[in-house]
Amino acid sequence: MFLIFALITLAGAVALALQRNLVVAGLCLVLSFTGVAGLFLLLANPVAAALQIIVYSGAIVVLLLFVIMLLNEHQEEAAVQARPLQRWVSVAVILALGAGVLKLVAGSPLLRRLDAAPLPAVLTLGSLGDALFSEHLLAFEVAGLLLLAAMVSAVALVKRDL
Amino acid sequence: MTTLSSILAGGLQGYILVALLLFLIGLGTVLCRRSILLQFMGVELMLNAANVALLAFARFRGGDVQGLVFYLFIIAVAACEASVGLGLVVGLYRHRHSTDTDRADALRQ
Repeated sequence: MFLIFALITLAGAVALALQRNLVVAGLCLVLSFTGVAGLFLLLANPVAAALQIIVYSGAIVVLLLFVIMLLNEHQEEAAVQARPLQRWVSVAVILALGAGVLKLVAGSPLLRRLDAAPLPAVLTLGSLGDALFSEHLLAFEVAGLLLLAAMVSAVALVKRDL
Repeated sequence: MTTLSSILAGGLQGYILVALLLFLIGLGTVLCRRSILLQFMGVELMLNAANVALLAFARFRGGDVQGLVFYLFIIAVAACEASVGLGLVVGLYRHRHSTDTDRADALRQ
């Protein structure tokens, strides 16, 4: 199961990175987010999986697709000038970063020790609510305020004359 | 080889590896594509990679609920980032009639 969901996630991401059509790229993003939700289910975390589906592959991707269709630009425009040097430097940076972190992950004794520990029970919505409203009440209210501020600023940004 | 079997069976290293690959693909999308909407999708992929790593560590460190609380706040900030970021993209398109980042290289019109 882990391999299936990991492959769905990575295939969606690779298809997104190589896609010419922006609408199809948005749908590849949905595929990738759904794979991530499956990974969260395998991590015994159904609350996070549901949130992932609702917020990411629901709200954020729908907003993104609305903007893509509103702007009427479904293809990437032709380049003003080719930039081969920047392209090769970025590929080299990504490969170097990947090789370095891969070596760290594969060689880490700490990760192997955590792997051997006994696995806990499923995380429920009840335990999340307990932790959220007993220890993080202030942060919860601040997050609500932040969402309100983002909503007002998004309206202010796209409105032509306020 | 124990590392490889642990990755294939869905151990902690497997999740960290998936998160790493997802992050690198997102980084590649941001660095190599020119459309600002595709770059935005790459940023979302990188954010999701961080989420996968966070929840994997929360699970393997004894089912800590604080990881889930943190994930909730990350999702709230990501929703704010998406709405404001897409508002900025719409504003950019109104001024320059293009979503190409190479064409948006000056502060004045």
